[in-house]
Amino acid sequence: MHKEIRFSHADLMSVESPGRYTGGEKNQIIKADVLAQLNERGECDAVRTAFCFPDVYEIGMSNLALQILYKVLNSEDYTSCERAFSPWHDMDALMRRKAIPLHTLETGSPLSEFDVVAFSIGYEMAFTNVLQMLDLGGIPLLAKDRTEKDPIVVCGGPVAYNIEPMADFFDAVFMGEGEELDLEFIREIKKYKDAGKPDRKALLRQAAGIDGVYVPSLYQPEYKNGRFNGIKPLDNAPAVIHKRIIKDLDSVIFPDAPVVPNNNIVHDRAYLELFRGCIRGCRFCQAGYIYRPVREKSVETLCRQGIAIEHNTGYDELGILSLSTSDYTGLRELTDSLLAAYEGRHTSLSLPSLRIDNFALDLMEKVSQTRKTGLTFAPEAGTQRLRDVINKGICEEDIMSALKIAFAGGWSTVKLYFMLGLPTETMEDVKGIADLAHKIEDLYYDTFREMGIKPRRPEITVSTSMFIPKPFTPFQWEAQNTREMFMEKQTYLKSLIRSRNIRYIWHDLETSVWEGILARGDRRLCPVILEGYKAGSIFDAWDDNFDYERWMSILVSHGLTREMFTDGIEAGAPLAWDHIDIGVRRDFLLRERELAYKEVITPNCREKCSGCGAQCYKAGLCYETR
Amino acid sequence: MRQDERSYLMTTQQHQTQYICRTLFSRKGAISYIGHLDLMKVIERAVRRAELPILYTQGYNPRPMMVFALPLGVGINTCGDYVDVAMSVPVPAEEFLEKVRPQLPDGLEFIHAINLDEPKNSIMSVVSCASYRLEARGITRPLLKLFAMDEIKIEKKSKKKMVDTDIRPLMIKPLVTDSEDVIELLVYAGSTQNLRCDVLLNALCLHTGYDRDDADNCIVTRTALYGGEYPDIVGIENLV
Repeated sequence: MHKEIRFSHADLMSVESPGRYTGGEKNQIIKADVLAQLNERGECDAVRTAFCFPDVYEIGMSNLALQILYKVLNSEDYTSCERAFSPWHDMDALMRRKAIPLHTLETGSPLSEFDVVAFSIGYEMAFTNVLQMLDLGGIPLLAKDRTEKDPIVVCGGPVAYNIEPMADFFDAVFMGEGEELDLEFIREIKKYKDAGKPDRKALLRQAAGIDGVYVPSLYQPEYKNGRFNGIKPLDNAPAVIHKRIIKDLDSVIFPDAPVVPNNNIVHDRAYLELFRGCIRGCRFCQAGYIYRPVREKSVETLCRQGIAIEHNTGYDELGILSLSTSDYTGLRELTDSLLAAYEGRHTSLSLPSLRIDNFALDLMEKVSQTRKTGLTFAPEAGTQRLRDVINKGICEEDIMSALKIAFAGGWSTVKLYFMLGLPTETMEDVKGIADLAHKIEDLYYDTFREMGIKPRRPEITVSTSMFIPKPFTPFQWEAQNTREMFMEKQTYLKSLIRSRNIRYIWHDLETSVWEGILARGDRRLCPVILEGYKAGSIFDAWDDNFDYERWMSILVSHGLTREMFTDGIEAGAPLAWDHIDIGVRRDFLLRERELAYKEVITPNCREKCSGCGAQCYKAGLCYETR
Repeated sequence: MRQDERSYLMTTQQHQTQYICRTLFSRKGAISYIGHLDLMKVIERAVRRAELPILYTQGYNPRPMMVFALPLGVGINTCGDYVDVAMSVPVPAEEFLEKVRPQLPDGLEFIHAINLDEPKNSIMSVVSCASYRLEARGITRPLLKLFAMDEIKIEKKSKKKMVDTDIRPLMIKPLVTDSEDVIELLVYAGSTQNLRCDVLLNALCLHTGYDRDDADNCIVTRTALYGGEYPDIVGIENLV
């Protein structure tokens, strides 16, 4: 018998935020026929997928990909999808103590009962939580140990583009956008299930024929002198796996009735996705390359979906999502239409990733029912030289003129995001960060002096994170700064910030170093991650749980070093992700790297096509302008 | 001051006419494991989904105007709680129920509603007592033993140190029971004096030796809310 809540009352009352383990939210999907079959014979005809998010409920439920694929995987009569999240430390301990398997919210079925267990992984630091969920779910951690009785374990998400450090744990990995690909894969599983699950290996060989599906066990890596030296397909597996995209975002399925959590989650609002991809091409930004080509949804589609979502969820805030909201061609028309539709319902729009100009400030004033919150800028680097290196198409005058308008309009809180450790960075560039912050402070007081008003104190926050070279960017060959170098730059910057109006906060150094190792890692890291998990590492993204020294000692005990993964890579050397094709070509990335060294800006996709290779998809911006 | 209390005061000060739907609701199962603020949001969103002419609070952050009789703690079920939902134009109680019911998540039910125009007192200010049903193995006898005591001291954390308080004056009386494992009782509730059931269960373990595991598994359901001064108490649906 399948029941909703597998925990006793006392179990739930003994943990933090029990609401995250109970499900029962508005718009959750439980297919009546599937449930009836399960209760009758413990089995069903549809392919059952447990959609797993390797972090807590409150973070997973804020993820749009989860809401989209949950709907996709419940959209056909041969599919059924339920959700599971990482239990927090307290519940993890309780489940181990009482031998309660990790189960889905919808029917309380243990993960081991599903045909497919699918992970959406957004960041490397969630790797150990994947193992936690498999372990608690009663599924063998290593793909090679699984039998016909075990679920097929798959994953997707931005991290999938270099999944090598986790390759031993997944049966199949999906490259790119899942709306079509996931269903093609499930249809293959349906045939396999109908046939009585005869041969797992044969199924995976078959699945490897689906465009965008990567079956790690069908590839054999080689190493030479402590370096990755290429990967070979076995059994006639495709030599290259191509990223999948959705060509027409207007006609693809979109969750206009997403699940509405009962308890407060991290981003507690409805979401609307304006477009995928980004025209900007900042050279450090992986998202800017892997999501190419830029594809917009039409204003009509977005209005229809925006109205439906607000009606179906009851949320009083709609988040407008994209990598760079100001670059959406119909932004003014869209916001005007939505605000008109929400008239009298007190629904506000939240617009992150706006480029601040007159229009943006005006818009922010209009859309937000609340007080003037802070303004956020991401100059990323302190000097114009370094901003040109990273192709951040923003100059000091842009920031200053926007801020002058903002200060005059009553804003007094500014957050500035920077990165330390960018390629070619010198101490002069680090100093530039402090200089910029002080100039902004001066601008604040000057603006008020001109207006003849005595201002209140401004709040300027400078935040630095550490640059991590990511695969599929022009900086994928760069060396990452060491912990000591980061420390030196941080301390130097701290010493330069003298004003009490400026606050300096920084991202944890050690997690960044570890993330850098994972980001460009290869399969030699699989046993390291496994051992780290067994030693107790989970929720590595949460600083208090992260144990740097332990990770380093495990790494060394496997005959590996930090330098193997964070040093610079020769341009000609094989990369652990060379067998994945995202459309953007290697020679383009190399060209961009050269331009970076020459401090030359590359125009954005709308100004001029730079021939990155993404036009091979014959979709979106590349296609329209051709 | 509670969030709903503050918004109630703000809105009444603006002299807006409020057409109240005073609603009796119940909750059990999944939805019982969220706190009061989360439950407010859940009901707020359900009412918004129902597309009713809701009255919004004034100020920077307008919210649907709703007042709860008494907050519900995490893990507490109810079949006797009330919420006043304010409309800007009259909406018949039947229509209100018909529209909101399909919008409620699992485990939450709107049982009954009545129309009230311009109540003189806010619903939260009239609550004085509440009845609870406790379901746990063998709980009846020890609980009756507790009622037989003159004084029930428990340690309570004040600002800095632990202080002894007597909870006996907050317990009014046990209500009829014919089971060893289920008992209903009447206690003081509201903003002036209030007895929480987790405190009562702690006292039960401390003073009668009742089993801790059984207490932890005790299902607590609030069954009714009353106004007036004991023994002259009346159900709060009638107090306006």
